[in-house]
Amino acid sequence: MDSNLTRRHFMQGAATAAVAAGFAQINPDFLISSARAQSGKPMSFLSAENITGNWDPTAHTTLSQKNIEGFVMGFLTRTPMRLDDPSEVVYELATKIELLTSTRLQISLRDGIKFHDGKPFKAEDVKATFEYGAQPDRPAQWYPGPTETLTIETPDDLTVIVDTSKGGYPAHLFIFLAAFLPIMSAKDIAAGPGGPLSQRLNGTGPFKFVAQRGNDTMLEAFDGYFKGKPGIPGINFSFVADSTTRMLSLLNGQASIVERLEPEQVTSIEGNPAIAINKVVSVENKYLWFRCSKPPFNDPRLRLAAAHAIDRSLILEVLGSAGHKSENFVSPVKFGYVDLENYPAYDPDKCQALLAEAGFPNGKGLPQLEYITSVGFYPKTKEYGEIITAMLTEQGFPVTLTVLEPAAWNERLYHRPGGGPGHMVDCGWSTGSPEPDLVLRTHFHSTSHRITGLEDAEIDASLDKERSAPTLEERGKILKTETMPLIASKMPALSLFTSVMIHAMKKELEGLYIYPDGSMDASRKMA
Amino acid sequence: MFVLAFLARRLVQGLVIVFLVSLLIFTLLRVVPGDPVRLMAGGMAPEALIEQIATSMGLRDPILVQFGRYMGNVVQGDLGQSFVRPANGAATGGSSFNDATRGERAKVADLIFETLPMTLQLAAVTLVIALVFSTIIGVAGGLAPGRWPDKVAFYVSSIFISLPNFWLGIVLALLFSVHLGWLPAIGYNGFAYTILPAIVLAVELSPVLIRTLVSSVSSQMGQSYVSVGKVRGLGHARIVANHALRNASVPLLNLLGVQFSSLLGGVIIVEFIFDYPGLGLLTINAVLQRDFPLIQGIAIVTSAIFVVINIVVDLVATTIDPRLEY
Repeated sequence: MDSNLTRRHFMQGAATAAVAAGFAQINPDFLISSARAQSGKPMSFLSAENITGNWDPTAHTTLSQKNIEGFVMGFLTRTPMRLDDPSEVVYELATKIELLTSTRLQISLRDGIKFHDGKPFKAEDVKATFEYGAQPDRPAQWYPGPTETLTIETPDDLTVIVDTSKGGYPAHLFIFLAAFLPIMSAKDIAAGPGGPLSQRLNGTGPFKFVAQRGNDTMLEAFDGYFKGKPGIPGINFSFVADSTTRMLSLLNGQASIVERLEPEQVTSIEGNPAIAINKVVSVENKYLWFRCSKPPFNDPRLRLAAAHAIDRSLILEVLGSAGHKSENFVSPVKFGYVDLENYPAYDPDKCQALLAEAGFPNGKGLPQLEYITSVGFYPKTKEYGEIITAMLTEQGFPVTLTVLEPAAWNERLYHRPGGGPGHMVDCGWSTGSPEPDLVLRTHFHSTSHRITGLEDAEIDASLDKERSAPTLEERGKILKTETMPLIASKMPALSLFTSVMIHAMKKELEGLYIYPDGSMDASRKMA
Repeated sequence: MFVLAFLARRLVQGLVIVFLVSLLIFTLLRVVPGDPVRLMAGGMAPEALIEQIATSMGLRDPILVQFGRYMGNVVQGDLGQSFVRPANGAATGGSSFNDATRGERAKVADLIFETLPMTLQLAAVTLVIALVFSTIIGVAGGLAPGRWPDKVAFYVSSIFISLPNFWLGIVLALLFSVHLGWLPAIGYNGFAYTILPAIVLAVELSPVLIRTLVSSVSSQMGQSYVSVGKVRGLGHARIVANHALRNASVPLLNLLGVQFSSLLGGVIIVEFIFDYPGLGLLTINAVLQRDFPLIQGIAIVTSAIFVVINIVVDLVATTIDPRLEY
């Protein structure tokens, strides 16, 4: 052993090493980088949800990544989806969309727009986007039919004609979808799977994708944006899982805007003069999904009985400002919404009558039922899950509530052959378009299964009928008077409420338009 | 010769410990609820695809077969690839596994060794803060047993040990970051971001150090060599600094080895609260996403660090006090 090593030398050396290790990554500015020294920097957005790691817009349905796409990508139109006018359309890459016939839609494009990589935006990009996105192997299945059912013509660089006659569905289905499908570059798409499309975002939107560094997505204002360079110099979009951490970051000035506030957090910062709060009735409804392909909820009478056992006003009380009353399967900001007259209200007598009719008087004879919910992603799921469990139990449903963290819950969420785990599952569904079929057809048509596993020929026929209506007006009428009431009479899922999307932001960002799907228009100049 | 024999013996013991930890973690991960293949493939993936992926990845083989294959790669320095994280390191939700456009997955070793320095920096700053604070309080208490410095040491350590770190982290962030604006709190963009989480961890660490110092200093001050020193005319300060503290530091040194290792566990909550991009945050995200290879890799690396630190501590303690035998 080296006899020169003494305790004193060791302690001195250890202390020096510790200090050296601590200062190994010192930022020379740290003495002046106080918590509030953030002005003039890019907008920092803290997201509650992580991204997928694949930038191809057709490869995911993840809301946080859709939000990033909202900054970077261009859309033919945007739909503000306000409660007073859910069908409002604002033209962006398109200047006009018109139905030539029931199966032919003509889209006129804006001239002089460029992608972030410099490529001029043309009709070929819309054609390539539609044909690629509609391929049956794309994970995000937003299109009304596969590629072979579409014929896309491009008579010139600024005109696209979508012909759906091969698929037998009307072309007007693309009107609402136009606001939801980010337009990709034909050059990127041509490079094929694993090419630039999956490596980075390249759009025509107000912000340009710069890099992904760990959990931070870095965007910068695009000089060539057709409405002029945004006032915000850039956006750092970061995943921060914990809502308290997000809130602290906003309060100390590190973050510019945070999402998915808990109602209590809203109360605590409402009086803060430096913070603005934005609440918007979202496109997301929260549902109690029934596993319809296995007993006992393969019997619609039992599903209705359960729906009548639940007093949704109590759930809204628990949610406070985070919930909005729902009397339909889609959000009020979606096309075709109407308060359904036959939507099941809290009615214990009806519940008992239906239980008896189904052969389970007072719930006797029912098997043990599992109700699966998550904690940590949606607000108050555990709290109102306990209330629902208590209300169902009160009417005789033997229910056990299983509360899982999001990964385990997500693993049990979807339908599987035989019905999937549990008997009831809590989950929200959010699509940034007024298009109601992104909810209705996705969940209640037999070809989908998704969560409920429902197979019902009558509902299928009604969904096909509303989709095939020759005009939007007729479609709206069928939805309101036939399809939606029919689904309510069979209750494959109980829509509990519509989520209210709550954002908090620095006061100087007040006025930023936040769409009901959580994406935002940061292209405007700041006040 | 002694050193070589010591090192050889302890390294072999360390390898056994790392092996057993790996086996334990590997087995536990495969019996907890949550099928990672379904998370990778997406919830809507059909059962046939799930089974196809699981079989092709060897996840349906017996656990011991899987473990043998895994350790075979580990000894070659390959900790595998993350199930869900792309090469850019972002914490991700699952995209569809069979999607041909899916990006390349990150190597577990890259993810760990990118975040480990951040945690080591946090642990080092924590140790400095905890040692300085504990030495001041603990030595003063040890030099005045039964009097007010001793009581202060007792009350401070009692209060500190009662403070939950998640609560303290939020309170300190509110005070120093939100209200006073002195320090940043969330994320990492320079050294200043380490200070608040380090204070929280130091508060967690200090009570044990304070109590150890109070007890060992007080014990040393009662030894006969202290009285003899006075008779020989040595000043009080010299007796304390040169003799009592030197002897009192041996139990502290041993304790530090254990505490430094436990710090690596304590950082999980603190890094999550402060969104500090270290090994703790990586661990919690890996667990939430059922990212088996990443969890296993973290377990192996942290247990190896634990073993190495304890070997070093024992080696140094033996050097300082040759009467000690390990």
